[in-house]
Amino acid sequence: MIWHITRRELYDNLNSLRFALTTMLLLALMLTNAIGHLREHPKRMQKYNDAVSESMTRMASHTDDSLYKLAQEGPGKLYKKPSSLYFCAAGGDPVLPDTIEGGSPFGYSEHLRGVWKLKYPDANINMKRVGPDVTKLDWAFVIGYVLSLIALLFTFDAISGERERGTLRLMFANSVPRHIVLIGKFLGALISVSIPFTLAVLINLLLISTSNAVHLNTEAWGRLGIIFLIALLYMCLFLALGLLVSARAQRSAVSLVILLLIWITVVVFMPSTLASIASEFSPPMSSEPFWKRRNQIQEELWQKYSRWVWSGKVDKETLTGKSEFFIQDAEAEERLNQERLTEKVAQVQHARAITRISPATLLQHLLESFAGTGFERHLQFVENTHRYARQFREFVADTDRSDPESLHIIGVREGMTKKKILPEAVPKFEDTLSLSKDFNTRATELLLLVLFVMVLLSGSYLAFVRVEV
Amino acid sequence: MLLTLIRRELLDNLMTFRFAAAVLIMLLLVVANTAVLIKDYERRLAAYNTALKTHHQQLWERKTYSGGKLDIARPPNPLSIFNVGLDKQLESETWISHSYVPTLWDADMLGTTNPLLNLFSSIDIVFIFEIVLSLIALIFAYDALAGERERGTLRLVLTHSVSRGQILLAKYISAMICLLVPLLMSLLLAMILLMTSVTISLSLGDFLRIGGIIFSSISYLSVFYLIGMLISAATTRTGTALMLAMFVWGFSVLVYPNVVIAAIAPPQTSQAGMVSTFNQIKQIWEELDRERKHFLANDPVPGEDPSFGMVRSGFAYEYFYEDASVLYYHYGAGAHVLELNEESEPQVPHAQDYYRFLVPRSVDAAERTWLVRKTALDTVFVQPAIVDRILLRFSPVGMYDAATQAWAGTDLSGLRDFFEAARKYRRTVIDYYYDKNAFGSRQWFSADKEMVDWDNLPRFSFQKSDARINAERALPDLLLLLIMNLLLFIVILLVFQRSEV
Repeated sequence: MIWHITRRELYDNLNSLRFALTTMLLLALMLTNAIGHLREHPKRMQKYNDAVSESMTRMASHTDDSLYKLAQEGPGKLYKKPSSLYFCAAGGDPVLPDTIEGGSPFGYSEHLRGVWKLKYPDANINMKRVGPDVTKLDWAFVIGYVLSLIALLFTFDAISGERERGTLRLMFANSVPRHIVLIGKFLGALISVSIPFTLAVLINLLLISTSNAVHLNTEAWGRLGIIFLIALLYMCLFLALGLLVSARAQRSAVSLVILLLIWITVVVFMPSTLASIASEFSPPMSSEPFWKRRNQIQEELWQKYSRWVWSGKVDKETLTGKSEFFIQDAEAEERLNQERLTEKVAQVQHARAITRISPATLLQHLLESFAGTGFERHLQFVENTHRYARQFREFVADTDRSDPESLHIIGVREGMTKKKILPEAVPKFEDTLSLSKDFNTRATELLLLVLFVMVLLSGSYLAFVRVEV
Repeated sequence: MLLTLIRRELLDNLMTFRFAAAVLIMLLLVVANTAVLIKDYERRLAAYNTALKTHHQQLWERKTYSGGKLDIARPPNPLSIFNVGLDKQLESETWISHSYVPTLWDADMLGTTNPLLNLFSSIDIVFIFEIVLSLIALIFAYDALAGERERGTLRLVLTHSVSRGQILLAKYISAMICLLVPLLMSLLLAMILLMTSVTISLSLGDFLRIGGIIFSSISYLSVFYLIGMLISAATTRTGTALMLAMFVWGFSVLVYPNVVIAAIAPPQTSQAGMVSTFNQIKQIWEELDRERKHFLANDPVPGEDPSFGMVRSGFAYEYFYEDASVLYYHYGAGAHVLELNEESEPQVPHAQDYYRFLVPRSVDAAERTWLVRKTALDTVFVQPAIVDRILLRFSPVGMYDAATQAWAGTDLSGLRDFFEAARKYRRTVIDYYYDKNAFGSRQWFSADKEMVDWDNLPRFSFQKSDARINAERALPDLLLLLIMNLLLFIVILLVFQRSEV
């Protein structure tokens, strides 16, 4: 019986104007998305590879010089690897910084340079945008905005329309349980929206996978599968919402008005408005107190070590003093930088957590994390650089320790080994992405989405059971 | 007759659920977002004020005229609450010096403690109008004619001696009156919120600009109402009209503005052009450097160190800084001598001669650089942005956005005004230096004898352009909107005249 109703709904929908328009719209969007990705992605990869190799060359030249040079200049710029699934969710990657700097010691003078530390640039440096501010056309946009709207357009008259036409009464006259009717309608709408969506996705993927410019591995395909399922789940949410309102509203026009207003509030406005409100509460340290603290720490270190720092002597005590000064200075600055970054991240996390009330944000977050872009990915990149920084420092210390002639004083030329080091031995930064990393957040968001769907489905069931014809 | 029709339509519209819902949602969204926007504006204003104070302090710490740069800042625009435009996107703090003229690409951001928050898109009042008003207009319009035709009342009305044009006009006027209610009410609330904030002071010009924004909003609203009416006139069933209206809305408001830019390949920036311009700029400064070296070589004083060996405490500096990606090339030189070597007193006239020779030339070089650089950067960065904006104008949303940005002064020309003002201010400062005869004076490089006079230095304050200029900038887009209105009305009239009831 369910299948019977579903089929009836399906036939109804397939012949309708909205089905034709939906198919056209989704196809056009997904095609544009694929073409845009094929055009942009090679450039992005090229830029990344160029930057990495340039950074490598710089490091190699330091390696050629001495271990001291390496310990002083550090690994240089570390770059975030662009995700091959960028087309699924750009996820704010255009505004997030794509590099973290591990280098640039402050030069007091030619002979007095500190050691490297991690620095976090605030934003993408090439951010001088004079163009109009538009959303990136990615899957997240197509699914989050367009598909949800379409889902509503397919269900707003599912029940109220039948009531208006009087066919609902006719259907109830048969001995069909109401929930069967509801499930049938739900499935019918689900399938009729899924057909154009799946078609569009397939064509999009066909274009992307057949091109030589982008290579998708098995893992990427797995992720795409998950993203597709999440999209279907998200679609179910809006279908259920449409059915709920449609069952309650007396006329389809009223039902549509309510649904559109809900949609606008939840999808368009809630994410940004709530984020702005939430970010009011935990502002990070502003730059003035930051520099005050930084200067204060530096001042204290100067006081403590000035005896050795300006001295030209090369005895062990002076060198140790210098080394301690450099290392503590770098450590203090790095700690301060990290503290500030943590505060900034906390503010964003706060805002992100609160905007999760909106299913559109849930979808955005989920898509970002499975596509390997966005904020969480950025945090992982930061984490990776931290791990690498430790590794790099350990390498310098270990290499120095393996030379018995060295004085083992890191950060001063006279105190470190003068042996040649092999460029291959220096650890390389590899930006990796692991899914299991914060599966907890993902799971919470996924469960939240499922919860939304369940609540709305049972809500529409209750509304439909009590509906008077 | 027309009045009777209007009254009937008005009553029909006002008592509907959609009207109540429209008013409610508009008020809710506008109030919530205005509160947030005012907070944000206050924060930016506070940052601006702090920056002014810091700049002032830093100026007084400078003991010589050559002390380098003068920082200037752009106050946040209170009308950015209506349409933020580029006000937050482009940086608002920059600096000038005798050897440097800033362009759009040489500024820092003021007032953002956390740039990561750019992840969340910011919403302004015009954005709410763009989305909600257009939707409400379509919801009001889709059944205006199709509904009456379905119910058969259209036939009834036409049996009276009313012309079809009159019916259309009556429907249009009454619906517009209804639609103005949520628009004006929400604007009124926003204005009340603006007034209650003590930090925001609006001038008469600002009220005129807000008036312009309201007028643009009404034309925008009317375009969407007419689009809805056209759909309604062309279709026979309300169901079809509704579906079409929703897809038209989704396409023109949601999809088109975001897709068109992604769909069209950005023009290739010609690297060769950038490189040659950069070389051109480099040449200007190398020529200056040659002249400088030539002067030093012919000077009776030996050595080429511009500090002439006279520094006991303080410092002299000279540097070239370059950044090819934005064609930035800057020669900075100056001295901050606190105490002179006793025996080098005879060197002072030479140093004075040197700076009297050098500084006017670097003033000139900076201006030539600016001209070359601005033209090149405009073609590389601004032209594509302008093309994008033209593409956006194929949707009424783009026209409306551009018109309101121009009114609010947050468009590109509004922000260019700031850099133009900075350039003018630099001229004033240089004139002031000439008045003081600063370039050849001892205070240019040394603070040991006489004090520099910062008291009488003209201060920078950025005045927004006149409301008339804003109007001129908004006019093209506003006209486009009005023409679109007119065209749509004529088309509807034609369709409706020829349609069968």
